[in-house]
Amino acid sequence: MIIYLLTIVMLLLISPLLLGFIKALKMLLLYKRPVSIFQGYRNFSKLMQKETVLSSESSSITRVAPFLVLSPLLVTLFFLPPVVQGAFYVSFVDAFTITGLIALSTFFLMLLGLDSASAFGGMGSSREAFIAALVEPAMVLTVFSVSMMAGDLGVGQAGVNLAAHFPKEHMASFLFSAISFFILLIAENGRIPVDNPETHLELTMVHEAMILDLTGVYLAIIESAASVKFVIFASLFASLFMPFGLQYTAPIAFGLFIVKLFAIATAVALIEVNTAKLRLFKVPNLLGIAIVFAFLSLITFYVLGA
Amino acid sequence: MFQFDTLSLVFVALILLGTIPNLFYSFGYLPHIERKAHYLLHYFSFIISMLGVVVAANALVFLIFWELMSLTSWQLILTEAKEKKTLDAAKFYFFMTHFGFLFLLLFFLISTDGDLDLGFTDMHNIVSTFAYPTLLFFFMILGFLSKAGAVPLHVWLPYAHPEAPSPVSALMSGVMLKVAIYGLFRFLFDVLYPWQLEWGILILVIGSLSSLIGVLYALSEHDIKALLANHSIENIGIILIGFGMGMIFDSMNLKILSSFAFIAALFHTFNHMSFKSLLFMGAGAVLHQTHTQNIEKYGGLIKSMPITAFSFLLASISISALPPTNGFLSEWMIFQSMLSSSLLDNTSLKLAIPFAIFALAMTGGLAIACFVKAYGITFLGLHRSTNAKHAHEVNFLMQAGMILMVIVVLSLMLFTPLYIQWFDKVILGLGHISVYTKIFPNGVWHMHSVGFNGGVVSPLILLLALLSVTLLLMFGYKSMKVKERLYHTWACGYHTSARTQYSATGFAGPIRRFFNWLYKPDEHFSKKSIAGHQSKFSNSHYEVHVKPLFETSLYNSVGKIANMISYWVYRLSHFEQTRYAAMIFNLMLMVLFSYRIFAHDFSWATLVLEGMVMIVSIKVLIIGDKQ
Repeated sequence: MIIYLLTIVMLLLISPLLLGFIKALKMLLLYKRPVSIFQGYRNFSKLMQKETVLSSESSSITRVAPFLVLSPLLVTLFFLPPVVQGAFYVSFVDAFTITGLIALSTFFLMLLGLDSASAFGGMGSSREAFIAALVEPAMVLTVFSVSMMAGDLGVGQAGVNLAAHFPKEHMASFLFSAISFFILLIAENGRIPVDNPETHLELTMVHEAMILDLTGVYLAIIESAASVKFVIFASLFASLFMPFGLQYTAPIAFGLFIVKLFAIATAVALIEVNTAKLRLFKVPNLLGIAIVFAFLSLITFYVLGA
Repeated sequence: MFQFDTLSLVFVALILLGTIPNLFYSFGYLPHIERKAHYLLHYFSFIISMLGVVVAANALVFLIFWELMSLTSWQLILTEAKEKKTLDAAKFYFFMTHFGFLFLLLFFLISTDGDLDLGFTDMHNIVSTFAYPTLLFFFMILGFLSKAGAVPLHVWLPYAHPEAPSPVSALMSGVMLKVAIYGLFRFLFDVLYPWQLEWGILILVIGSLSSLIGVLYALSEHDIKALLANHSIENIGIILIGFGMGMIFDSMNLKILSSFAFIAALFHTFNHMSFKSLLFMGAGAVLHQTHTQNIEKYGGLIKSMPITAFSFLLASISISALPPTNGFLSEWMIFQSMLSSSLLDNTSLKLAIPFAIFALAMTGGLAIACFVKAYGITFLGLHRSTNAKHAHEVNFLMQAGMILMVIVVLSLMLFTPLYIQWFDKVILGLGHISVYTKIFPNGVWHMHSVGFNGGVVSPLILLLALLSVTLLLMFGYKSMKVKERLYHTWACGYHTSARTQYSATGFAGPIRRFFNWLYKPDEHFSKKSIAGHQSKFSNSHYEVHVKPLFETSLYNSVGKIANMISYWVYRLSHFEQTRYAAMIFNLMLMVLFSYRIFAHDFSWATLVLEGMVMIVSIKVLIIGDKQ
């Protein structure tokens, strides 16, 4: 139980660090002087001290939505698979609930974008809706395929089962679903090549456009929601597709898990440096690849049993 | 004459839950209806006829009430018949519903052997000796699905629902479509029982297509009620997916999974009744205040109509299948039953069902997009028209109707186990096995799937967790005592105005562009350029209309073919008299052949042979040489 609570606190604390790490690594690779990897915490504390400026065009939705964007993600943190063998985990939540909770958070984020009566907000919401609609089928199919290899649809249980019994006999379909899930990780978190989190250019903005009219604590909440979302996806990827090292003693397993998270962050940063952002209407091609890999994973599982 | 078994009682409850809030709403709406007596007479007979359909115990009573239901709803569409559009919609509805009725009549005539007084068990005995159950199955689904609005018999919904007065659209979409689902349950279980595998697959395919096509056309709609009508097609599709999975599992002898899928379908039937009625009531309230159905003319209504806005938000979350609402729970069950398809003992089916999963998941994603659009453009932002600016909350009775419906939605969300226990009894009463103890093995907190790799969901724990975390966050924010300031939205130095906001057309733009091959939109764009500059203009206008594919291809081409045939018949009738004798001869030949084919044993060889004989005799005797 202590390890369970510690994991949640650790994930919460580490989430701004991961995004800061990606940013710093990218700058380093581009021969720029990197920002501090702790910039995320500085931004957070700065925003927490600011006053809140609310748009006079907006309604009560703007006052409620930021909390509703963050709370499903915080709830999701409690449902993630364990990082140490034998630790407590929540067994009564399955992958559908988690995709549903993430979609609930996105739903309120999109409403937030439309609430301020600005053209940017609508633009961001519209694009996010488009991407989210195409992410959904790939997500469900990947979840389906993983659940068959893990023998359970519950995320916690699936993580435990995969760690106890690595699906060597289904390596092909396991890899296919891993590829599909990684593309979803990039798409859901608005990283290049789907969205560029660093620009404020109307041609490219998706996530930033929706939150353009927020300041102060509200902005801090939304920014932490973004980092929590990344940490959720990263730790799901780490638990489901890199299920090793759970059997060591708690500190080592913990350290290994953090290393895995940073490895995923490095992979994301490398992809960001090496690819250009896709045009919005090319994004379906990328998500189409995710869908095809999810199908392939199911087909190889059924037909070849591999 | 009437029967009250669990299935009937459950549907009586569904109708009552759907109509009681509607009664309040309807009386609030009444002052705006000119022909009050006409409206009330048909309104109440509509409700009674729906109740009559679900408690009917023999074919004749069923058919009488069914027809009464069609006719009264047809008259209700005509309550405010001022425009030609309304008359056309009513005519179309009348045609479609009687198209279905024809097949129902055929179904009943065959399955009762002409004696319409027979009860359903006697019908089962007659059907079990009938040589072509698939023919009966087709008659039945044509009859019921044309009422339920499944693809390709869905085209009347986006016309009929917007033209009816709002309480009636809520009833038609929320309750009447479910009566057709009752028909499926009743006659598939009681009359046509040993199902063939292909039937279930057909229902599954129809369901997947309906759900996708419904949501895609909903996204391209600007008329709020037509948008909701298209979502009814989608949700009927989702119900049919659950139903089809149940039938497939049953024919593959997986009884537990079959019961689970049927319960999921029944649960979604209830959920759709609740949130769709609520959405139509909300849309009706907005329409009532702004006097337009065009979603582009709304905006900012949350400030003036908070109760409507709140109930619409709840229904939107629920229809988008987001946790922890009831819509999520039933879609979760349907997903679970599809994921259990890995237990099927048929590889090609196992490989095919992921495509249906894909369709359902895609539907879920697009439904979220569509309801963000519907809610965001209607209730958020700035007023897009003067009518929207002067809108205020509707009268008390209409509010009461909406609040009662919110309670129905919440009850489905909070008392899921009770409802499921009840649906389980229905399935038990229909001769399937009970799975309630498998869905809720340890108390009411956790809902289990019955498949081997199945998941678990805990709706109440989820709800409590979400509520407590959100309230905790809000409390934290309040206790920080942050200084708040109001200021205009930053519009890059320009004035923030209603015209610079995103429109509904613009919101659906990326999706419309991606599905261009399906929509084939009809776009109009005009602008007045200033001094020949491309980028400077004083005035511009963009309009896009999406014509439904099924209507343009399927229905219009049927019309064209009918025209061609009638022209051909017309030409025949002006032949010289000797050919009439030849035509009579051919007709007799056809009657004899088809009698042989249908009443005696069927074989492809004789069918082909007889077909050739027919074609040759038509060619030689009737058409003759080309002139």
